[in-house]
Amino acid sequence: MNARWSHAAPLACLALALIAGACTRQPARATEIVFWQFWPAEVITPLLEKFEAENPGLKVRMEQLTWDSGKDKILAAVASGTVPDLCELGSTYMPRFLASRALADWSAGIADLKPGIRGWEMCSIGDANYGVPWVLGTRALFYNKTLFARAGLDSLHPPETWDQLYRAAAAIQRLGHGVHGYGVSANDRQKLFKKFMPYAWGNGGEILSTGLDSARFDSPENRAALAFYLTLRKVGTLGLQDALDRDFKDGKLGLEISGAWLLKQIPNEVPTLRYGVALVPKPATDRGTHASFAGGEVLVGFQASKRKEAALRLARFLVRPDNVEALVEAAQSVQPATVGADTTAFYLARPNQQVMIRQFEFARFTPNHPEWDAMEAAIEDAVEKALYDTQSPPESSAAHAAADAQRAIVELLEKH
Amino acid sequence: MRAHSRVTSWTLLSPWVFAFGLFGLFPFLFSFAASFTDYSPIRASEARFVGLANYARALHEPAFWSALSNTALFVIGTIPFTTALALALALAVQPAFRGRTVLRVGFFVPSVVSVVVLSLVFKGLYAADGSLNTLLRALHLPAPDWLLDPRAALPAIMAMDVWSASGYYMIIFLAGLEAIPRELYEAARLEGASSWDCFAHITLPLLRPTLLFVLVVNTIRSLQIFAEVFVMTHGGPLGRTTTLVYYLYEQAFSRFNLGYASAVAYLLFLLSLMLAWLQLKVVGGRGAKG
Repeated sequence: MNARWSHAAPLACLALALIAGACTRQPARATEIVFWQFWPAEVITPLLEKFEAENPGLKVRMEQLTWDSGKDKILAAVASGTVPDLCELGSTYMPRFLASRALADWSAGIADLKPGIRGWEMCSIGDANYGVPWVLGTRALFYNKTLFARAGLDSLHPPETWDQLYRAAAAIQRLGHGVHGYGVSANDRQKLFKKFMPYAWGNGGEILSTGLDSARFDSPENRAALAFYLTLRKVGTLGLQDALDRDFKDGKLGLEISGAWLLKQIPNEVPTLRYGVALVPKPATDRGTHASFAGGEVLVGFQASKRKEAALRLARFLVRPDNVEALVEAAQSVQPATVGADTTAFYLARPNQQVMIRQFEFARFTPNHPEWDAMEAAIEDAVEKALYDTQSPPESSAAHAAADAQRAIVELLEKH
Repeated sequence: MRAHSRVTSWTLLSPWVFAFGLFGLFPFLFSFAASFTDYSPIRASEARFVGLANYARALHEPAFWSALSNTALFVIGTIPFTTALALALALAVQPAFRGRTVLRVGFFVPSVVSVVVLSLVFKGLYAADGSLNTLLRALHLPAPDWLLDPRAALPAIMAMDVWSASGYYMIIFLAGLEAIPRELYEAARLEGASSWDCFAHITLPLLRPTLLFVLVVNTIRSLQIFAEVFVMTHGGPLGRTTTLVYYLYEQAFSRFNLGYASAVAYLLFLLSLMLAWLQLKVVGGRGAKG
């Protein structure tokens, strides 16, 4: 018996010590700002060190999130009330978080920043601001100059209209031997949407009314854009984004809509690839716009945070033009939200990066409706269904898809 | 004495009980309660009791039924193959021969590797111009884009699952085979029984508890298939690989419908329970110990 106790007692003490330790953990120092963000440490740490040097009273505890699980972690934090003081959120997450009322109202603290930064649509309800835009991302047309030359196309003049795009893709598709003209996006969640909607927006199509209270998806503009997107199947290949990007880098894909991450990857992985970036083609020379998708990263604070003021200070530091510039130069896969950033030395020396910034002038942010992600998924499902319907003519599958998506969006609107 | 030994037991068990209570029992009960509410993690304080509405919604939702049918296809399409392959491998590597250990380890290795890693490897293997299609083209066979073809995507994930899970169940079968007394085979041989007779009348009946265990465990695991889908297809193409757990995950973490997702989880739990009971009845028979 005693022998048993002699074994059990230390274990019990250990268990108690663990429990006690967990309960009496020292609260973090009042000046420590907990910052959750998605950038690799080597990109963000120099900025945080600079912040600490400029603000002797403040320390930053940075925690890295991943794109795969970051949202779950933020969600769990909000649910349990143990939120970070400052957090980076993707624009796709914003509508749900805005609707949750969990975010801190920063309207007063950032009013002076408004003229110098773009993208406030991502983090505003009416005049109230629940965050500050940090960096932006858009999609543009990437084209392979070598394949253009091989197909007898002028590689100095990328396609500017739908018709030119189709003909260029067709010429490249004819090269054969595993080379494809255009990369049509298959159903990658939250990606297909960004590849298709540029054509719809460019053609004057909409998703919701400006008041966000009625569906506008089933329109002649959207149907025509989708029918055009479906015809691109004939002069291209269907693939997920990473497969299409890989084909493009391997020199096997003539044209695709993609993002600035390629501008970073290509010089590292395939420095010999001759390629260019152009605005998304518009319906015709005399009609439509070079529209594209715009998204971005927002810095937000939470209602439940105890260090709101310090968090706002860090946010204001991070969106300062010199700091955003340092971040995007290190990352090279996004553009600064700063107005006039395209005139910095970095962008002036990089024409492809500059195109991405020019593309913003035509780019559209997604509607800030609480059910936005479900609407986006409904549009993607409908477009995907049309993409796999190879039997019907494009016009009729496009009409079905537009009606399906419209129905789903109406249902989601009725939920609210 | 007895009281003291009970105290000792509980003291020794306490870390486990504590961890189980916190990470097992509490979430289990919490999600059960949540399944009767419209709980959303970002509006936790506004949760309302909605009765059985979440369960009713699931049963009326075409997406739920489509996820259920994908899951059923997955279970029906993998369990017999995994079980048969595992048993065949176990029988093949049971007798003593040179290189047996290498083979056993080789077959078991996929079970040790993370599912995410395996899925990434298979994603490359199944790519339009991946190794599998290179091989198929060399043999002049059709080479579809496996994970983008609505008819091929789920079977492709199923094939990967059979391949990766068989080794694990092989080890369990091996343990079952080792427990069968040698004398039975020796006696049967003396009576002139063939290898097939030995297998059908000795091995199979005596392996029944092991078989039952493999079936039940593998069914529960297959009903919960998620990581493969998450990494390889995200539920596509055309929703053909959206399994119940993937559907549940999307509802919980993309749409923040945690109450509804909890109801789906409990429907899945009920289904697992029913299937396990059915297997117990059919395979278990009399005297079998699960």
